[in-house]
Amino acid sequence: MTFAMIRRGLVYILLSLAAFVSIFPFYWMVVGATNTSAEIIKGKSSLGDALWLNATAFFTQVDAVRIFWNSGVIAVVATVLTLAVSSLAGYGFEMFRSRIRERLFGFLLLLLSIPFAAMMVPLFVMFSQAKLVNTFTAVILPTVASIFIIFYFRQATKAFPRELRDAAKIDGLKEWQIFLYVYLPVMRSTYAAATIIVFMANWNNYLWPLVVLQTAENKTITLILSGLTAAYTPDYGMILFGTVLATLPTLFIFFLLQRRFVEGMLGAVK
Amino acid sequence: MNRIASRRGRVLGLALAGVSFLSVAAASAGEISVWVWDKAFNGDTMREAGAIYSADHPDVTFNVDDTASQDDIRAKLQTQLLAGSTEGLPDIVLIQDDVAQKYLQSFPGAFEPLSDSIDMSLFAQYKVAAATLDGKSYSVPFDSGVTGLFYRSDYLQEAGFTADDLKDITWDRLIEIGTEVKAKIGKPLLDLDLNDTGVIRMMMQSAGEWYFNADGSLHITDNAALKKALETYAKFYQNDLVKPVSGWAEYTGAFTSGEVAVVPVGVWITATIKANADQSGKWGVAPIPRLDMEGAVNASNQGGSSWFVLSSSDNKEETIDFLKTVWAGNDDFYQDILIKRGAVGSLLSARNGEAFKASDEFFGGAPVWQDFSTWLSQVPSVDYGTFTAEVDAAVQAQLPSIIEGGDIDAALQAISDQAQQQMQ
Repeated sequence: MTFAMIRRGLVYILLSLAAFVSIFPFYWMVVGATNTSAEIIKGKSSLGDALWLNATAFFTQVDAVRIFWNSGVIAVVATVLTLAVSSLAGYGFEMFRSRIRERLFGFLLLLLSIPFAAMMVPLFVMFSQAKLVNTFTAVILPTVASIFIIFYFRQATKAFPRELRDAAKIDGLKEWQIFLYVYLPVMRSTYAAATIIVFMANWNNYLWPLVVLQTAENKTITLILSGLTAAYTPDYGMILFGTVLATLPTLFIFFLLQRRFVEGMLGAVK
Repeated sequence: MNRIASRRGRVLGLALAGVSFLSVAAASAGEISVWVWDKAFNGDTMREAGAIYSADHPDVTFNVDDTASQDDIRAKLQTQLLAGSTEGLPDIVLIQDDVAQKYLQSFPGAFEPLSDSIDMSLFAQYKVAAATLDGKSYSVPFDSGVTGLFYRSDYLQEAGFTADDLKDITWDRLIEIGTEVKAKIGKPLLDLDLNDTGVIRMMMQSAGEWYFNADGSLHITDNAALKKALETYAKFYQNDLVKPVSGWAEYTGAFTSGEVAVVPVGVWITATIKANADQSGKWGVAPIPRLDMEGAVNASNQGGSSWFVLSSSDNKEETIDFLKTVWAGNDDFYQDILIKRGAVGSLLSARNGEAFKASDEFFGGAPVWQDFSTWLSQVPSVDYGTFTAEVDAAVQAQLPSIIEGGDIDAALQAISDQAQQQMQ
């Protein structure tokens, strides 16, 4: 046996381990959704026949249509707005030179290090004065100017061929037209990746919606799931069924954009 | 390019349409809103109380929100009270007794004193004491966490013990019994989770002590009850009587599947135990053992919560009247929630009702509810203070070394030091 083969074998073992570690929780979740609470506690890790039971329990206890609608509206609107605002900012930071540009950008990056918990109370005071507590607007607005996404778009814009912008200018396009008709199509892959990141962050957002959404009919699926786990005798099968449901939209977006992601890359080369 | 532009226009249109859907649901007048954290237990109980009140007062309706966990409720309440914004807060909120003082002291004026309008002597006094600050009581006590020693009567019988052998004993005696049971039938005495200080706290409270002095300062290094409790805890492990578990599911799983002989725990566990109908007749409940020291009694508490009225409530008058009429005056209601939900309330007069006197075949025909309510009236009052969670964390940090036979005095010193740091 050669050294290379041993090395290859080791790599495979390591990768299999890593794959197992990342896939197992997912497997456990799916399997759990088909078992009863008692079976889950006993550690049963094969498919069971309680899927229907868990589904019925979930839909009886949770107003699923309403809750998923809430989560969906918040995540979609927040993603669209975040991409619009933050990509414009990233574009602007890279395209326009100014004396304070780098200092301003550095200041923004510095803000990234402030934990959200520290901003929560002042933020709540602001929204309460604006009479926006318990609205989707209150959940969405603070996420729209995402410093991380601005940074991400600025980095990506560095790779945007400036000649394209110059050529468009000569053709007589205005700045907003360049952004919409030249920059946007070229940067499709960046938008696709950013969509995955932003959608996931908003779909899974927990702390701020928890604090600012007050009535049951406005809550998102993350909040509802957290509430279900806290019962004195939690129905784990039902909770895992809900968790599976809650994972589906993110999975869907991911697989949908994974394809676009590649398409976008090809488009950029053309 | 036109096609792209129109598609983009549509997306923007959709986004705007989405935003315009955003609505504010305002609480209507005459609606009492309540935050609770368990649908089947405190949620349904409160809904039932609401239905009773609404029957006599048709203009008052109830909105019981049970979609948040207890931690979630705390996070929301804390943020809002810190922000000084009471918008959207409920009229009534359920708070666990051991954090009540923290809220009362941290947010003066946020909660409505109730002792002026409701006679607090009707309730178990240790529950009232937990929510009393400067001579005023701020809560209507709900479920009691009065403790009992749940045991597998079939296991103990097999090992040669009767129900009387478990009555009014000390923890040391329980360890002797446990050692014999283990030798004869091979089952460990109890299951313990090193991340849960429940048993230590109930031992301490049975001697009328807690982590704090009357002035709120730490009462650790000179706390004889805590020292004894930690020694007892260590003895469980040193005599090999423990099935170690981790997390709630494993904890309940161990005793509901017959792996241990006894469970010292709050009365609220009854529903979990009785959920296993095949074990009917194989369980019994004895008074909780006491620490072998002066002042210790065979009664204690674990958990339990109470109803608090927020001062910001728009329906204060109706809310207090509701609590007074149903929660502080309707014995029949307490019979009902005992039968349906297994909720042992804290209203002392309720124990004279039929449901409390009934015997339970699951527990070998013993009048368990009567027993629990007798012990309820004997639970020593302690001051839970504002930093119980912090000291708990410090105790947990020392447990691994304590069960290995580490020096208890050194551990107490370490607990005191860590807690002191956290409290600053």
